[in-house]
Amino acid sequence: MRRPVSLYGLTFSLPLLIWQLLFFVFPLLFLVALSFWTVKNFVMSPDFDTVNWTTMYGRAVFWQAYGATFALAAGAAALTSILAFPCAYAIAFKLSDTARRWAVFLMVIPFFTSYLVRVYSWQIFLSDNGIINVMLGWIGLGPYPLLNTVGATMVGYLTLSFPLVVLLQLFSLVFIDRTLIEAAHNMRCGRVRTVFEVVIPSARVGLVIAALFAFILSFGDFVSPIYLGGGDPTTLSILITDTTKSGQQWPRAAVIALTMIGTLMVVAFAAVQFAYKGKTK
Amino acid sequence: MQRDTLVSFEGVVKRFGSFVAVQKMDFEIRKGEFLAIMGSSGCGKTTTLRMLAGLEAPSEGVIRLSGKPINDLPTWSRDTPMVWQSLALFPFLNVRENVEFALKMRGIGKVERRRRAEQWLDRMQITEFADRNIAQLSGGQRQRVALARSLVVEPEILLLDEPLSALDAALKVRMQSVLKTLQRETGITFVYVTHSQSEAFSMADRVVIMSRGVIEQIGTPQEIYRAPRTRFVADFLGSSNLFSGRVRPGAAGGVELETPAGALKLGGDGVMPADGTTATVTVLDTKTHLSVTPPARSVNVVPVRVVGEEFVGATATVYLETPQGQEIRVQKGHDELADLPLGIGQDLFAWWEPKDGHLVAEA
Amino acid sequence: MSGSGAESINRSRGVDWALKGYILLAYLFVFAPIAASFVFSFNSDRFPSIPLGSFSLEWYEAVAADPLVWQGLRNTLVVGVVVGVISTLLGFGAAYTDYRYKFAGKQVYLALALLPPTIPVIILGLAMLAYLSRINLSGNALSVIIAHVVVCAPFAMAIIRLRLSQMDPALEPAAWNLGASEWKTMRHVIVPFTKPAILGALFITMAVSFDEFAVAWFVSGLNETLPVKVLGFLQGQVSPRINAIGTFVFVLSMTLVILAQLLLSGKGANDRAPADDKE
Repeated sequence: MRRPVSLYGLTFSLPLLIWQLLFFVFPLLFLVALSFWTVKNFVMSPDFDTVNWTTMYGRAVFWQAYGATFALAAGAAALTSILAFPCAYAIAFKLSDTARRWAVFLMVIPFFTSYLVRVYSWQIFLSDNGIINVMLGWIGLGPYPLLNTVGATMVGYLTLSFPLVVLLQLFSLVFIDRTLIEAAHNMRCGRVRTVFEVVIPSARVGLVIAALFAFILSFGDFVSPIYLGGGDPTTLSILITDTTKSGQQWPRAAVIALTMIGTLMVVAFAAVQFAYKGKTK
Repeated sequence: MQRDTLVSFEGVVKRFGSFVAVQKMDFEIRKGEFLAIMGSSGCGKTTTLRMLAGLEAPSEGVIRLSGKPINDLPTWSRDTPMVWQSLALFPFLNVRENVEFALKMRGIGKVERRRRAEQWLDRMQITEFADRNIAQLSGGQRQRVALARSLVVEPEILLLDEPLSALDAALKVRMQSVLKTLQRETGITFVYVTHSQSEAFSMADRVVIMSRGVIEQIGTPQEIYRAPRTRFVADFLGSSNLFSGRVRPGAAGGVELETPAGALKLGGDGVMPADGTTATVTVLDTKTHLSVTPPARSVNVVPVRVVGEEFVGATATVYLETPQGQEIRVQKGHDELADLPLGIGQDLFAWWEPKDGHLVAEA
Repeated sequence: MSGSGAESINRSRGVDWALKGYILLAYLFVFAPIAASFVFSFNSDRFPSIPLGSFSLEWYEAVAADPLVWQGLRNTLVVGVVVGVISTLLGFGAAYTDYRYKFAGKQVYLALALLPPTIPVIILGLAMLAYLSRINLSGNALSVIIAHVVVCAPFAMAIIRLRLSQMDPALEPAAWNLGASEWKTMRHVIVPFTKPAILGALFITMAVSFDEFAVAWFVSGLNETLPVKVLGFLQGQVSPRINAIGTFVFVLSMTLVILAQLLLSGKGANDRAPADDKE
């Protein structure tokens, strides 16, 4: 093989490495150090004290938020995956090549619109005098309190991850070997059954990864729980913003952040294991 | 319809948009036979197979299975298991689960499923791989899994779409004998699509030769080889010399073909074409003889010049040219050619018995 | 290809239409907020809902009259352009490294190059602010640039890497074989080949930076970018201006994305035209 180390090679590989070390890895490591600092009279000082960890982990509020966030994110991942699948499936198998290209293009657009603006827009739909309640009023229903509910938070999470999940699912579905589907049909496997016996197992990696991304995005999001969910239940991300705002409690916010990262790593690892392993079920 | 007919194609046409893949096809598949459908790529052979499997719907005509029309039957309601060119084994299932798949779809219980799968794993000699993933198998082993998977339901008919094309030459020959034996032992009707003449002729009881969506000839390998019915078949097989010319009454009775290479006498079999029409006669390269001097009975003799020779195994092929520039091939054993001077540029005479010449249909 | 013929027997028209209807519903859900934001940006009501009020540009005027918005816009544009350039340069280097070299620890290298977008922005923002203020880099546009490059470089890398994977692996050795040095090959072979992806990455990373608000909110201090400004409006409930800014940023972002799309697909498709021709 070629010699891996040369000035030429380093010119291309080092800049990103240095940048991500300096501004990605170090900040995260610094967060670890920060979690052991102490705060006295609104002033942080370097220290090695586990007080932040014990304080946070000793609080019921923290664990409630943790449970709520985890449940919400897991729910969002499941809901998004289930709602996205028929859409991705239909795009993959029921549209012409041209229509499919357009569908993909349209699904990419939301990535380049501000998530904040879309969340605000949902407020217009969901508020007490909003579009949905006005329309329900026409047929003599409502008004229902839609905003500041868990349902509204879910709408926000869907706004955040639905397009990505559809695209990831679609990506794994279009690469399914069509002859596998034909072979299943050929062996008495009907339409619906083929989806569960062949399509889903074939696309398994993509489907799991898509759900994982929905989980990651929802788990860390603070916009939907605040501006659509009304801050109730308190999620970890809300807790972080609150903690940072209140009296320089950065070290405690670091504890929350690190706990979130730890959780995400465990979930991601488990998901990847589940996706790739056990092909024999 | 004959009693032993399993499948019949009646006026079947298949169009993809404006492209006609199969035109007006009529033929029958007999119960228990090994039928090969052969042709070059794009000739409609795979489309024919896929229509039978229910993966394509005929644009016109009727396909019958055991006498019943199956045009509107979805794939999963037919018992026409197929072996794909890619094999289409499920990568997310292991060998045993692949073999059990069709049984599971038929709602057969776990124990029975296992038992029947076991039988076929054993029969195909892949029991030891039962719990492996498909990715861990060799090409030949995958082939056996695919066969077991399709045959486990013990169907009346098995469709095979160029299943051996991915294998190396030696393995191909081995699998051919496996397939042939399997077919003979089970009595299941095999419909085997291939572009390989050697595969079709070595395994099949009957061969269908297709070109551009049309059946050119159906017959046993011997029939087709000995007497290609059309110019296309003769060209496709590549083992005959072709002479075209105008038909006229022969000098010594019978019929002659007036060709640039001279007058050629036509043999006995078949209906003689009318005087004045154009006809083509084929002569197998193994039935074409060479000599230094014109043979005594000077019928069907053509002066030729050697342009090349080729030795493969025990046979030699001599390439020659008539003064008109037509190419002629002669294939013989080495010993048969030993006495002839075969240097390039050598002048010789090529000749054959009138009975070895066969008329082909003019396209 | 085939397949069309199987439809009639192996497909159910009802199911097909139901699924297509579902696609429409899904896109309705995705585009409802985007469309609403657009429509209500021209609507006079202070509390937007239906029936629509009169057509009005007052929110655009209100936004345009706010000097802080203009400053935010300037910050956004400056940050976006700088982030785009740096991210694309770093991303190109990483993509080329992945394309060409095998080395111990490559997995770690790639993880570093691709992971940042998977870390929740709120955590990234917190970590960045804590860290950058420690090294006296927080609270200015530079800190936003630094943070955004961390998030954007992986996108640039992915886009350029995809293009490199379409390149015939023999091209580079062929150039060497013809006497071009590594540097010359880079300049005359690799860069020209990846050019559409480089420009695409530039525009896409700019667009990502334009819309990113969370990290920017944390680290920007007084140098707010436009999305951070939006976050402020959202907190302050001075709402319909959000629609005006949102629509404006949307148009800006889409222009960049469509430019990128044209570059990526147009150029890429030309190169592969013969392969696409199936018949």
